[in-house]
Amino acid sequence: MSRVSGRYCIVGVGETDYSRWSGRTTLSMACEAILKAARDAGLAVDEIDGITSHQTAAGDSCTNDQVATALGIRTNVGVDILGGGNSIGQLVHQSVGLLEGGHCEVIAIFRSMNGRSGVRMGGGAPTARGSGPGAARPQLASGINQYQIPWGIRGAPTRFAMEAMAYLHRYGYSTLNMAELAVTQRQAATNNPKATRREVISIDDHQNSRWITKPFRLLDCCQENDVAACLILTSAERARDLAQPPVYILGGNARASSYRPDWVWALEDVNAGWSKHVGERAFTNAGIDRGDVDIVTMYDNFTTTPMKYLEAFGFCGEGEGGAFIGDGRIGLDGELPQNTNGGQLSEGYAHGAGYLIETTRQLRGQADDYCPGWADGEHSYDRAGGCRQVRSREDRRRDNWDNPSPPTVSFSVGGGGTAQGWSVALRR
Amino acid sequence: MPGPIDYSLINHQPDLDSAGWWEGTAAHRLLVPSCEDCAYRWFPPGPVCPSCRSMNLGWHEAEGRGVIAGYVVVCHPVLAAFREAVPYVVALVELPDCANANGEPVRIGGVLVDDEDAAAIGAPVEVVYDHAPDDAFVVPRWRVSGEAADGWRFEN
Repeated sequence: MSRVSGRYCIVGVGETDYSRWSGRTTLSMACEAILKAARDAGLAVDEIDGITSHQTAAGDSCTNDQVATALGIRTNVGVDILGGGNSIGQLVHQSVGLLEGGHCEVIAIFRSMNGRSGVRMGGGAPTARGSGPGAARPQLASGINQYQIPWGIRGAPTRFAMEAMAYLHRYGYSTLNMAELAVTQRQAATNNPKATRREVISIDDHQNSRWITKPFRLLDCCQENDVAACLILTSAERARDLAQPPVYILGGNARASSYRPDWVWALEDVNAGWSKHVGERAFTNAGIDRGDVDIVTMYDNFTTTPMKYLEAFGFCGEGEGGAFIGDGRIGLDGELPQNTNGGQLSEGYAHGAGYLIETTRQLRGQADDYCPGWADGEHSYDRAGGCRQVRSREDRRRDNWDNPSPPTVSFSVGGGGTAQGWSVALRR
Repeated sequence: MPGPIDYSLINHQPDLDSAGWWEGTAAHRLLVPSCEDCAYRWFPPGPVCPSCRSMNLGWHEAEGRGVIAGYVVVCHPVLAAFREAVPYVVALVELPDCANANGEPVRIGGVLVDDEDAAAIGAPVEVVYDHAPDDAFVVPRWRVSGEAADGWRFEN
């Protein structure tokens, strides 16, 4: 077990609305998310003395120093890293290191993006005509893109479709398995008032949605939206005086890499290469077993990705992920509830931050559903009546609905593809 | 046949690690990075052998024939250059004459000249070359050259 396991906590979470057009700067949204997370934690904003964030190489966000200046606070440490879905877990573990090293006492992690109205993934910098194909100007093809753009590969669906196709080919799954994941997660999103997509969908709706890049249809792809999200971390000692029950960071993987240089084309790594070689390490360093995990979040940039991560981290055997996600197993009352906010397919896309906000609230018993008393942990557990709060593994096993306990341990995986990713285990 | 690709909408910028590879395509030679010390081959080009970490590197010239190891069909265009080309198949081609001593394959991607109907995992292909306007750069593509013995096609 890592020597910092359980010594630091998530004490505050907050996010802006998910929208397709925020009409705001990423700086404005970042400040709102941080203010909300500080209020949630019961902290004065002045007590934040560390800020960290990530943004993509396209420069789609504001920086830690801009946020500190806007909020009028002096920080002892600030770090911005490059990255997308491979980042939020890395920032959690990096922040634990900064706290442990005495570089700061209270650290705010934020992700802010106008991912739909501004810089879209794969779209490059926005122009007056937008950043899609309408922006008819030469697209820079350098670095890894010199072997992708001339071959028509740009944007997440084309980049991740190859490994998804290889997964179907190798293990004999069809797009009906992918549909099942989308439908199950959407069911959870119907009880999430902030979700971008809340309407119930059927297998047929999935099968009838338009092709994006085969094997992906529209309903296999995550949302694109504008949003900012924030997590605030501090020590377990400091957390005792704060407003919320602490959620302890047990461990996981920070930012592990695949060993193949040709990641888009690495069919050996169809089962998510980086994760396969770090799966055991995540549990060892968190000091837990898979059987301790009450709920999971698995990065759902596309419907096939969670299937591969469930395998890589040993929740099922190799090649079994496509079947594992069926039969309601990952539903709110299933054997292993997954992406209980609806995931990025339904809630919205915050490059992974949404998962850690969701697991924090679920562990506190404060899933922000349609129950009027959710903030005080009062839930009806009526799935048709808008309740999203998950019961503990033990209560699910015993089929107990009478005053059930919230989950105790969560395990989250992020990253998206074969190249790089992270995991975070949390305990209340 | 997929529609035309407008290469003038791609600002192609090779770097000092990749310039030799693009000089190869300009001469209709398909090159694979190769380690002069341990003979390891891989793709795409990089500054160091990822197997023995030697920086003494050269090129192995591939015959230009391979087998489709994977493919996708792009239906929704993201790139302006490919706006008229959809739907098109991006194939991942395994090059048998470039395999490493331990059997580890080398693969190169590319857009098929053919339609989706011709694509199958296991289908044999041969390289063809597209020239950007004014020969600014030359892009290898692939043509299906026969039937797959035991091919797999994506359905549904």
